[in-house]
Amino acid sequence: MLSQDNLRLALLSAYAIAIHGFEKLIPTPIPWLRFGLANIITLTAMVMYGFRAGMTITLIRVTVGSFFTGTFLGPAFLLSFGAGVVSTTSMGIVIKLMPRVFSPVGISLIGAMFHNITQLLLAYIVFIKRIEVVIILTPIILIIGILTGVMNGIVSGMLITGLNKYRSNDVNDVIVNP
Amino acid sequence: MRLRDLKGKITPADVILLFLLLAISISGLIFIDNVMPQGTEVIIDVNGKQVYMLPLNTDKSVKVKGPLGDTLVEIRDGKVRITESPCPNKICIKQGWIKRGAIVCLPNRIVVRVNSTKDGNRKVDAITG
Repeated sequence: MLSQDNLRLALLSAYAIAIHGFEKLIPTPIPWLRFGLANIITLTAMVMYGFRAGMTITLIRVTVGSFFTGTFLGPAFLLSFGAGVVSTTSMGIVIKLMPRVFSPVGISLIGAMFHNITQLLLAYIVFIKRIEVVIILTPIILIIGILTGVMNGIVSGMLITGLNKYRSNDVNDVIVNP
Repeated sequence: MRLRDLKGKITPADVILLFLLLAISISGLIFIDNVMPQGTEVIIDVNGKQVYMLPLNTDKSVKVKGPLGDTLVEIRDGKVRITESPCPNKICIKQGWIKRGAIVCLPNRIVVRVNSTKDGNRKVDAITG
């Protein structure tokens, strides 16, 4: 791995952590509604730099993010870690197995769904242990996930388009591919 | 980098996935609304163990001891809410009144849920042969 790649990963991880922290400050009508804005960074990184980049950023974000909120290795960390890994893996599989079938909006939707389902499942196993509570919450959480998933996918798509434009205007690229 | 540029990039698979997921979750919502019974009992769990079972139609306030301290649960007019909690984020308080479902306070390990008394909640009205 080039040192430039490490630098890029570090920068993207920092973005993800900052966005993840900032998101908590946004007031929402439903208390447990989270936008999952950090997924914009994960998805963009994965589409542009591959699965390993996306997974590294997720792992760094979840771990370092929990240091800031003081939830490291607590139940909230477990939920966020498990959901982050599963959702990143699901998006990676979709990109790998079905390239160009989905736009970033579709990939983001898949990621959001897996994130929510894993989180509900882990919450059930670790904490709630009452299946009826989970069943009542599931559709509501899935609908919110659809909305935020589409929103994040649109932003990610715009970001990828913008970054690709910038990339092709890169001086190095002009020299390499005249 | 504008929204307009993205319009041509949305694939048919995206649209199918979106409507499929919407259909699943909305039908789930309708299903639960019809199948889940209106609760009659408020059950309060601490750490997965049941500590209180109170009728929903009697106004009452109870103090529940969790690992972080006391959480105050209020029952009024067939609804239940958490009024005070030692947890840092106060998400449980912000959730407000509920008539069904549950309020979960993860930091203080408290679950307040509304349930019907018996497990086989819906009695059979009639059986036709």
